[in-house]
Amino acid sequence: MAEQNDIKVEVKNLNFYYGNYHLLKNINLYFKKDSVCTLLGPSGCGKSTFLRTLNRMNDYTEGAKLTGEVLIDGKNIYNKSLDVVELRRNIGMVFQNPNPFPKSIFDNVAFGLKIHGIKNKEFITERVEKCLKYAGLYDEVKNKLHQSAFSLSGGQQQRLCIARAIATNPSILLMDEPTAYLDPVSTSIILDLITTFKKYYTIIVASHNIQQAGKISDYSGFFLDGELIEFDEAGNFFTRPKDKRTENFITSRY
Amino acid sequence: MAELANIKKDDDPMPVFPINRGYLKRKKFYNSIAVFFAVMAFVIGSFPVFHIIYEAVAVGYKYLNWKFVSTLPTGFPIGARGGILNAIVGDVYLIIIASILAVPMGIGTGLYLSLFGKKRTNSVLRLLNELMVGIPSVVWGIVGFYVFSTNAGLGFHFGFSALAGGLTLGFIMTPIITLLTEQAVNQIPASYIEGALAMGATKLQATKSVIIKAASGGIFTGILLGIMNIIGQTAPLLFTNYYNTGMPTGVTGPGGAVGDLAMLIFIYIHEPSKILHYKAEAASVVLLLFIFILDLGLRLINYLTKRFLL
Repeated sequence: MAEQNDIKVEVKNLNFYYGNYHLLKNINLYFKKDSVCTLLGPSGCGKSTFLRTLNRMNDYTEGAKLTGEVLIDGKNIYNKSLDVVELRRNIGMVFQNPNPFPKSIFDNVAFGLKIHGIKNKEFITERVEKCLKYAGLYDEVKNKLHQSAFSLSGGQQQRLCIARAIATNPSILLMDEPTAYLDPVSTSIILDLITTFKKYYTIIVASHNIQQAGKISDYSGFFLDGELIEFDEAGNFFTRPKDKRTENFITSRY
Repeated sequence: MAELANIKKDDDPMPVFPINRGYLKRKKFYNSIAVFFAVMAFVIGSFPVFHIIYEAVAVGYKYLNWKFVSTLPTGFPIGARGGILNAIVGDVYLIIIASILAVPMGIGTGLYLSLFGKKRTNSVLRLLNELMVGIPSVVWGIVGFYVFSTNAGLGFHFGFSALAGGLTLGFIMTPIITLLTEQAVNQIPASYIEGALAMGATKLQATKSVIIKAASGGIFTGILLGIMNIIGQTAPLLFTNYYNTGMPTGVTGPGGAVGDLAMLIFIYIHEPSKILHYKAEAASVVLLLFIFILDLGLRLINYLTKRFLL
């Protein structure tokens, strides 16, 4: 086990039900600080649901029930006294489809700052610029910051969503198959971003692309039918998987 | 199994199935019949509209001038001379009063239904809303009479006035706006809302900054439909506002009643006077133009708010 100080997120005995359907079965794992962890698995195995339990996005799903604990920095986020808004400020999320808001590019990135009550215009401008630079988008959009975000290409939109997610300075980034709908060039840009970002953020990526996951991850987990089959350092995971099912998946025998 | 595998060899192409020419021909014929009926349905359905416009213009053309819309009715019987300014001003009064009540209430209920409500309360609310749409307008008139005009109901005692009439019309307008708002919000991709919530926005913040903007087209359509509905109502006004041949001096009590185009047409047609009949026809053309201008105006407002404010 890793040292206690290094652990950013710890999940203990997590069970998730949707109606009568047992979606996540007794998940136990931890995510280390400033590392990239990929969660692999076939479609419908519960990766996305698991990611969404980490920032309580499942709160709004009707009929959802959850048992167990998710500890972030040692605090259970399912504690009743916890402020969900504060929690989500600390956790950025990037979705499978690029989903910029129907606003200008600038306002998209500034959204997170504005909803947290920041009114200082200079600060916002500076921060938006910085975030766009981090996301590698600034040079492409600096002349059209006030145009609609929909004028961007798919890959640019996804990077805009990343810029939006990091604007509130979170410590954790959740990415739900961020490259699933992108072309190879945009994909490689985003994979590079993830590798540079791990200095600052704990990044958790759900993916079903083994090759991409192998490139970026420090840790990897394998989900199948709502169970966590294996969780290990990336080196061991991809070269010497302990479980037969993991091996089958990695060698694409599913 | 072995046989099946044999069939699936690469050098064995899929068997070509015979094409039934007669069948395809028949289907094409049916298709053209369906198109014919669709076009006929449209022609028959839209015929009354063109007929109304033609008839109204043909009969009332003498009075379609600036003087007709800019002067108050005079003469005997009242309206024999002068125009219909009282009714146009009255309609503006009624629309404004009704909208002040119905727009916030309708949008609020629609947003509640699509975003905030629980499943079970929603189904009850939705049923009530549909019921409200279905209530005959004359019933609304009686309810409005008791609640707003007399002091028997909740003690408002507005008399026959623009306020009583406008509020009654507002209640007719509300469920329409609710219906359209809910539909518009339900059509927004869930990813917008999820994206905003994942940023740590509260539901209200997400609504204000993302949802209203994305749904504004549908919401404006709802407002427009609501206004068009109430502009043609006479029954609710019979008991709450009736009619005023002059300008209103207030919005409640005596002198608070306003004219109304639909009511004017209703009253003029009942009078045994050829001139008033012609004027009623001309007024219906004005009513159509009024709706047309309103439509354009609201669309412009929608465009401008989308472009510059949100």
